[in-house]
Amino acid sequence: MDAAISVAGLTKRYGGRTVVDGVTFEVRQGESFGILGPNGAGKTTTLEMIEGLRQPDGGEITLLGEPVWPDPRRIQARIGVQLQSTSLFDMLTARELLELFARFYLRPDAVERARLTLELVGLESKADDYAKRLSGGQQQRLAIALALVHDPDIVFLDEPTTGLDPQARRNLWEVIRSINADQGKTVVLTTHYLEEAEQLCQRVAIMDESRIVALDTPAGLIATLDADARVSYTDGSGDHTVYVRDAQATVLEVLERARAGGEPITNLAVKGADLEDVFMQLTGREYRE
Amino acid sequence: MNAGRFVATTKAQLQMTFRRRVTLFWSLFFPIILMGALGLLFGGQLNAGKVAVVPVDAAGPRAVVHVLDDTKGVTVKRAESASEAIHQVRTGSRDAAVVFVPAPGGGYVARLYTSNTSADQAGIIRGIVLGATDGVAVAATGRPPAVRFEARSVDSSSLTYVDFLVPGVIALAIMNTAVIGLATIMVDWRQRGILRRLKLTPIPLAEFFAARVTASLTLALMQVVVLLIFGRLVFDVSLDSTAWAAIPVALAGCLCFLAMGFAIGSFVSTPETGDAVSQVFTLPMMFLAGTFLPVAAMPAFVQAVARVLPLYYLANGLRDATVRGLSITHVIPDIAVLLLVTAILSVVALRSFRWEPSI
Repeated sequence: MDAAISVAGLTKRYGGRTVVDGVTFEVRQGESFGILGPNGAGKTTTLEMIEGLRQPDGGEITLLGEPVWPDPRRIQARIGVQLQSTSLFDMLTARELLELFARFYLRPDAVERARLTLELVGLESKADDYAKRLSGGQQQRLAIALALVHDPDIVFLDEPTTGLDPQARRNLWEVIRSINADQGKTVVLTTHYLEEAEQLCQRVAIMDESRIVALDTPAGLIATLDADARVSYTDGSGDHTVYVRDAQATVLEVLERARAGGEPITNLAVKGADLEDVFMQLTGREYRE
Repeated sequence: MNAGRFVATTKAQLQMTFRRRVTLFWSLFFPIILMGALGLLFGGQLNAGKVAVVPVDAAGPRAVVHVLDDTKGVTVKRAESASEAIHQVRTGSRDAAVVFVPAPGGGYVARLYTSNTSADQAGIIRGIVLGATDGVAVAATGRPPAVRFEARSVDSSSLTYVDFLVPGVIALAIMNTAVIGLATIMVDWRQRGILRRLKLTPIPLAEFFAARVTASLTLALMQVVVLLIFGRLVFDVSLDSTAWAAIPVALAGCLCFLAMGFAIGSFVSTPETGDAVSQVFTLPMMFLAGTFLPVAAMPAFVQAVARVLPLYYLANGLRDATVRGLSITHVIPDIAVLLLVTAILSVVALRSFRWEPSI
């Protein structure tokens, strides 16, 4: 079976600046794939080139076996896109918007599709409210419903939970999981939340400064650390962070050394290794969400 | 183009248009308020211009001249002879001439000479002179009218100020609704990423905007009908049987100003600038293109300017059809000018069209 998405050597420059630099990856059909990275890493530009919104300066993109460029319109009918910060026509209700978008795709069952997608994202009770009256989380759900209304094979979600409160974010995770697990759609999402990538994605590409610096399952990425835990503390010589296999032995050693040297230890913390540590290991920088 | 999709999109555009109260206010209620205010303030009291009068030493004509002297609507200037007065009208130094000629059965006939280069004023002056002669006739109770009125003019209309005003306000309303409406909504759609979201769906841009244009034309049609009915009922505007020809004129005018809105919307980057730039184009037209005052009453250079403004042709065409009783063939030149401007502005707009918001 063809890969759902195949990207090779993707490059984009603005002025003299390379914002996407030789990005290469594949996404299998039915997979949920995450592109994780700090703001400005090039995630959105990468996604918009795959969606056919921005023309790449170099590289190849194939969706469902068809090249996206030079004519993206053909393949666009088979993908669903939620853009970062899309707003919608103000004076239409959620239901009317969904029916209108279904008609854009010439769906004869527009009314039924609108009803189904409203149900899928849990917006039935808001069906007849104007889009602009919905809360931030509800608007994001509506944007996702609009990406699904024509029953596409691949769904692209660009920072779907940015700006939402933790509760709304968790609710949206359930929706995204169900799109992938229950509807069987290939899902590609970008996020700058480490936890989100760990929770939602079977595989994660970590992007930093225009390049993919690592790509694996969340567990596989953490395994590259060759450590189970992160121990951090502050002593007279400054802050220390060490990645270790045996956290207990390390902590005892640190405390023993402190007692012997008579130097106080502060901020002693132990935590299981996660993607944040992978990012730090790869880039040498602290990850800031 | 897909018929079903086009209908569904047009329906959505109509919903978006008519659900916005501010649109309805500016497109329908504001023109009504404007008509009401101007109609009440200036109804019949517009200074229509200079009238050359050849005085005759008889009771009737003296009374008429006296009434005309007291009328604010016209400025009376004495002339030596009928031929001099008519010459003055022909050369444009006077807007009309009143000449008294003895009537066969006694009394006088007041002949009004006007020029068709100032048809709007002619209508107003005619109304004023008619009023003056009527007043004198009533004063001479029980006798045959001392002065009968007789108009000699190429132009058979008898425009009052409200007759003049109502089509002008309709033209203005169509212009403002179309230009400001499309300019601001286009910028809004682009800046908020709605256009690029649309680009991801299969509907062609042309079909999407055709639906918008259809919705706007529907609104323009409503403006013509509602405002004419209002003018008829409240101001007793004398609608002619040719009034239906106002519809193609209004639609052509609406297309022209939608193209202008589209062009402005393509150039500017925020809805606020869209609004401001729209005002820069529409405000001068409002005052220069003969919406409130006859263009002929303005200085020559303003008249020259008026003739390059699309609003002039919209107002003129609407007036010809609704109150001057001119047939569809007479308004075809106005429609042609409006469609020509539409074509030019559309080319400008399409060349500068952008999907992406500017940062």
